[in-house]
Amino acid sequence: MSRVTRTVLTGIAGAALAAAASFAIADAGNEWPHYGGDQWNTRYSTLNQINTGNVSSLKVVWMHSLGSLESQQSSPLVVGDTMYVTTSTGPKFVFALDAKTGKQKWKYEPELPNDYFATVCCGLDNRGVAVANGKVFVGRLDAKLVALDANTGKELWVVTVADYKKGHAITSPPVVYKNLVVTGIAGGEYGIRGFVQAYDQTTGKSVWKTYTIPGTGEPGNDTWKGDSWKTGAGSTWYVGSYDAKRNLVYYGTSNGGPWGGQTRGNDSSNILPYTNLWTSSELAFDGDTGKIAWGYQMTPSDVWDFDGVNEGVLADLSVGPALMKADRNGFFYVINRESGKLISAEPFVPTNWASGVDKQTGMPMEDPTKRPQLGKWARNVCPNLIGGKNWEPMSYSKQTGLVYIPTFNMCMDIASKDEEYSPGKFYLASEFNLDMVGSVGSNLSEFVAWDPVANKKVWGIKEDLPFLGGAMTSAGGLVFYGNQKGELKAVDAKTGNVLWQFNIGTGILQSPVTYTVGGKQYLAVVAGRTKGPPSFFGKIGQRVIDASPEGGVLVVFAL
Amino acid sequence: MVPKFPQAVVSRAALAVVLALAPLAAPAEDARPVNPFEGKAEIVPEGNGLFNQYCSHCHGPNAEQGERPRDLRRLKIRYGDDAIAVFYKTVSTGRQEKGMPIWKGVLPDEVLWKIFTFLSSIQTEP
Repeated sequence: MSRVTRTVLTGIAGAALAAAASFAIADAGNEWPHYGGDQWNTRYSTLNQINTGNVSSLKVVWMHSLGSLESQQSSPLVVGDTMYVTTSTGPKFVFALDAKTGKQKWKYEPELPNDYFATVCCGLDNRGVAVANGKVFVGRLDAKLVALDANTGKELWVVTVADYKKGHAITSPPVVYKNLVVTGIAGGEYGIRGFVQAYDQTTGKSVWKTYTIPGTGEPGNDTWKGDSWKTGAGSTWYVGSYDAKRNLVYYGTSNGGPWGGQTRGNDSSNILPYTNLWTSSELAFDGDTGKIAWGYQMTPSDVWDFDGVNEGVLADLSVGPALMKADRNGFFYVINRESGKLISAEPFVPTNWASGVDKQTGMPMEDPTKRPQLGKWARNVCPNLIGGKNWEPMSYSKQTGLVYIPTFNMCMDIASKDEEYSPGKFYLASEFNLDMVGSVGSNLSEFVAWDPVANKKVWGIKEDLPFLGGAMTSAGGLVFYGNQKGELKAVDAKTGNVLWQFNIGTGILQSPVTYTVGGKQYLAVVAGRTKGPPSFFGKIGQRVIDASPEGGVLVVFAL
Repeated sequence: MVPKFPQAVVSRAALAVVLALAPLAAPAEDARPVNPFEGKAEIVPEGNGLFNQYCSHCHGPNAEQGERPRDLRRLKIRYGDDAIAVFYKTVSTGRQEKGMPIWKGVLPDEVLWKIFTFLSSIQTEP
């Protein structure tokens, strides 16, 4: 859609809401209509009023308290002149705000049971809403999916997607296209069986549901030992991508469950036939039927918690129609998103559990000493289970052709243990030490500009603490990201020079978003330091917790 | 809400209620649970491993992490002689509204006490 057409439409709130859903545009511009800016998850904006020449003049224009203190991971959407933002813990609130002034239009405060906290693994997260056809869709930690009236916040329908008491939860916004709203499910640490499910946007009726782990008699079920598939995880807790032309929805799948792999396979690097499909994989689903069009498994027979959910970023590269994924396992994958065929896979962080990926078979070439076994430690495995990258999103700039990745630089010791499955309880069967720096350098993270065609790092900014915030790029030649000290940075996307920095006062996990109202460009960021995951990391985690107080604030900047 | 009484009066009244109830809420001396492994240093490494397997994702590996309310090295500072009773009750019945699951029926008492034996060995001194 042209900018002119969109500007006209934004003047008519209702029409603009409908238009955002009807036209599958590839770029975020005046609006930020999807979690990843566009349905390709590029987090690239065509706006350039704020650019390398003037970014140092950014000033705060309004703020909004989120009213909750757990780690804030919401990516606000802007549709028309309305911003939709969620908070952590539930969410506790969904706010609709005037995107120019911050004035509250409505808020939604869901009724949640008070015992769901105990069945959410890694913090009380919510990453935002999806908006389509005049409705706002939000998933909740009690595993319900809700549709709200975008103009009033009134609840239109609520469906129970799964039983939260068995460890299911929804932490990320759904994918919306046509008349469907498609959600994944969390619970990879609770022995769930992962799935992706589509509902009718108008009625909330289920349209299709596809399990990530094949059941008895289905192809791939024989990649599981005995009944282990029933509790094999493969959850889909992060955001999907959508290719309208091919009508394919892409989701990554989580680790195998439990982390310790002896129940699921041979408990050795001689993994066949127990690859545990489709855990730690990327899956393409037919948009209308949910049928799996293709699958690619990054980490067969996962025992490292190399959860494969990181967002698939779609781009048309010189090497083909690509889905790019900076996987937790340390490799940057470029996959042909039409066929599922591997194009390239190279390490983007120091990686030693596998020496590389066989381009013919797509299988990693494991170092057997780095595979934990029952009662046997694998020492100094890199990256550790938080991954080379975690959920904090990367961004692909169409302007530079580079991908900007918030990476971790940490290693681990890990061993598998015996453990019984108990519904609704953590099911890890694993012991680990994550209080270890990476194999190269003393920095615990690095913000990396990566060439996805040449497969090499172009530049990097080393940071002392882990958990860098997600990235956003713009046609202004900029890339933005934050850290757990609360520093929001604007960086020259070509050179890596930091051009502007602002101290929010609490850690930043999610990437900023950008939009215009009345022809003026704004930059919005949600802040609130990470809270759950640092507990895994001992003294390193303590440094993260000490870096800034917990918080919950939305800050909006303009020139 | 507009308070009917000055805040200080309300607070004092509330405190009085708490104090009046306190003896009932605190475990009686004879009801205090007993750790069958108390003083057995040889149990500590096993308890440490069990702790790391079942508890470390919230309470930190070796009980080291940065969130004060979850810091189990501070049981003695926080609860004094009641630490053992608070531990056993919390682990058994959970604090689900704060994220602590119910472990009774999932982990046998023997495992809980081995974990407590480990925790007892790493308490921060007041």
